[in-house]
Amino acid sequence: MAVAKWLCRVVIARTHSLELNSYSSSKRIYLNNGVNSRPARYSSSCHGQYDLIVIGGGSGGLACAKEAVQLGAKVAVLDYVTPSPRGSVWGLGGTCVNVGCIPKKLMHQASLLGEAIIDSKAYGWVLPEANAIKHDWQVLREAVQNHIKSVNWVTRVQLRDKKIDYYNGHGQFVDLHTVKVVVKTGKEHTLTASHFVIAVGGRPRYPDIPGALEYGITSDDIFSLENSPGRTLVIGAGYIGLECAGFLNGLGYDATVMVRSVPLRGFDQQMAGIITDEMMSKGVNFLMKCIPLSVEKKNDGKLLVSWTNITDQSTHSDVFDTVLFAVGRRALTKELCVESAGVKTVPESGKIFAENEQTNVKHIYAVGDVLHEKPELTPVAIQAGKLLAQRLFSNSNEQMDYETVATTVFTPLEYGTVGISEEVAIKRYGEDNIEVFHAFYKPTEFSVPQRNVKNCYTKVISKRKDPQKVLGMHFVGPQAGEVIQGFAAAMKCGLTMKQLQSTVGIHPTVAEEFTRIYITKRSGVDPNPQSCCS
Amino acid sequence: MNKMANSRSMTHAVRSLCRTVVIQTVTRTVISAASTCYRYYMHNNFSSTSQVRKSFVINSNEDFVNKVMNSDVPVIVNFHAEWCDPCKILSPKLKELVDPMNDVHLAIIDVENNAELVHAFDVKAVPAVLAVRSGLVVDKFIGLVDADMIENLIKKLTMKQGG
Repeated sequence: MAVAKWLCRVVIARTHSLELNSYSSSKRIYLNNGVNSRPARYSSSCHGQYDLIVIGGGSGGLACAKEAVQLGAKVAVLDYVTPSPRGSVWGLGGTCVNVGCIPKKLMHQASLLGEAIIDSKAYGWVLPEANAIKHDWQVLREAVQNHIKSVNWVTRVQLRDKKIDYYNGHGQFVDLHTVKVVVKTGKEHTLTASHFVIAVGGRPRYPDIPGALEYGITSDDIFSLENSPGRTLVIGAGYIGLECAGFLNGLGYDATVMVRSVPLRGFDQQMAGIITDEMMSKGVNFLMKCIPLSVEKKNDGKLLVSWTNITDQSTHSDVFDTVLFAVGRRALTKELCVESAGVKTVPESGKIFAENEQTNVKHIYAVGDVLHEKPELTPVAIQAGKLLAQRLFSNSNEQMDYETVATTVFTPLEYGTVGISEEVAIKRYGEDNIEVFHAFYKPTEFSVPQRNVKNCYTKVISKRKDPQKVLGMHFVGPQAGEVIQGFAAAMKCGLTMKQLQSTVGIHPTVAEEFTRIYITKRSGVDPNPQSCCS
Repeated sequence: MNKMANSRSMTHAVRSLCRTVVIQTVTRTVISAASTCYRYYMHNNFSSTSQVRKSFVINSNEDFVNKVMNSDVPVIVNFHAEWCDPCKILSPKLKELVDPMNDVHLAIIDVENNAELVHAFDVKAVPAVLAVRSGLVVDKFIGLVDADMIENLIKKLTMKQGG
């Protein structure tokens, strides 16, 4: 009976705090009776001290919060999605889960399956006529959104299970140790903590041209677009722009990419050129060295885009169903009012300069896309968040290693890479002190359907002098992400050319090309393959 | 120190309580303890559920108490999510099996709209189906199952009369 009575009290308190839109640990309510037992009709509530408040429920924030709570900290997570100009919103999980990696990979897979259907005919599958094979955007969209929602739900369940307080509201710094957050019901909570982690990530930018905000969409909107995108202009040739144009083209939509300077700026430019060549051969149009001037809506609902070619100053225009801006992302630090806590940001991007994830304010940290000059990748944010929590709440001294981070661009023919580009290698060590090995190759599976292999290429950059430590590995081909992952571990171990070349390959795969690579650029020998096995 | 030890051992007691078939105490206390629910629970203790339709959607804790916990008739409780494909297969199947029966009701709970019920019943995956009779959870399954298993659950629910 005493147990039941205690249970009643716990549950009343727990349900009371549920009304306040947070999941509190029953232990804390039991002990801090005074502060937390205010009835719900009060419009604001002041919560006791947290050990850690994480602002941003994305890859970095959640990883940090979950690790911290496991180490015994009292943690709260704030997450909020401001609707995009098009009105798109999404649930807990951040960019990756909702409008990034996950839906992107699913749509990329959808477009690859379209290619596979065509290939399958050569392998003996009896199919309807090519023009009877169509794609239904609504089916794909719903499948992708259902998956995203299931991940949102699992994430919320996890927070609840791990007893992390979750506030679905827009947080803002009030002072060094205080954050205020207004939740859906309009209630305002004032929270204090001994540590803060800023993990607010970023959102797509819009260019300052007429019609962009009113009529353009971004990656925030494409994955939940109600109607099929139709003839699409993608403005921007970073990896987001290229990946979007790639899968849209693969799904059967006319896709054009407008490039201001060069595609995949910051990546190895030879590889970037190979990627765009492949996309062109697949039917994607490229408008090189062009910048948009305006977007107008016509009477029939289509969009008239005007642009100028910066090489000859000529102007052009054309009509599209959808205009997708992928011209860069900006950090959400301004909305967070970081200056109220004294946190300094980089003026242009709004990003935070942090040394070992610590900002200029000792007890305020940052992880993820919001960090200045760190890779904007989910696994980087997750790893950094976890290690940070370990340093804060246990005896760990382990810092995040931002070097040798593998990444993949999921264009129709994928590009995987780990280590440095050829340009950076030349700049850092000098052309005479590096060796560049390269090879074109033919995936076995491409032979039967006679797929174009001219862009299947791999490159390894190493130091010239023995033991020829490997500095960078680059791969364009199918399953590039799967291929490169293992080599990242090898490079972290200090992979040398001798070790790479003495590794026996698995046959027939595309990954084995790295174990067979021997022709150097310096030798001038033709890197095209003669035959398969010898 | 003593208080801490006490509360810890109480937590253990609570956990083992949940695991036994005396879920009745837990579920009743959990739901009835919600501030708005408590009053209604006392009020509707003797209300008749004959006006309730056979298959219905639960929209609030109060709804749940009235139509499930206080139901004279056993109820199958289906935790459902719109984004879950197996749910979309199971829910119509449940409705199909329950509709012709006079002695069983079907309560559908959308997990997105009823966070407190999801929390109270510790639903971690959907679809989740509970068989409730006289406020007691007598059976449950998680995930899409075949028609045989659903029929067995219904049979078990309607077999013995009275608590």
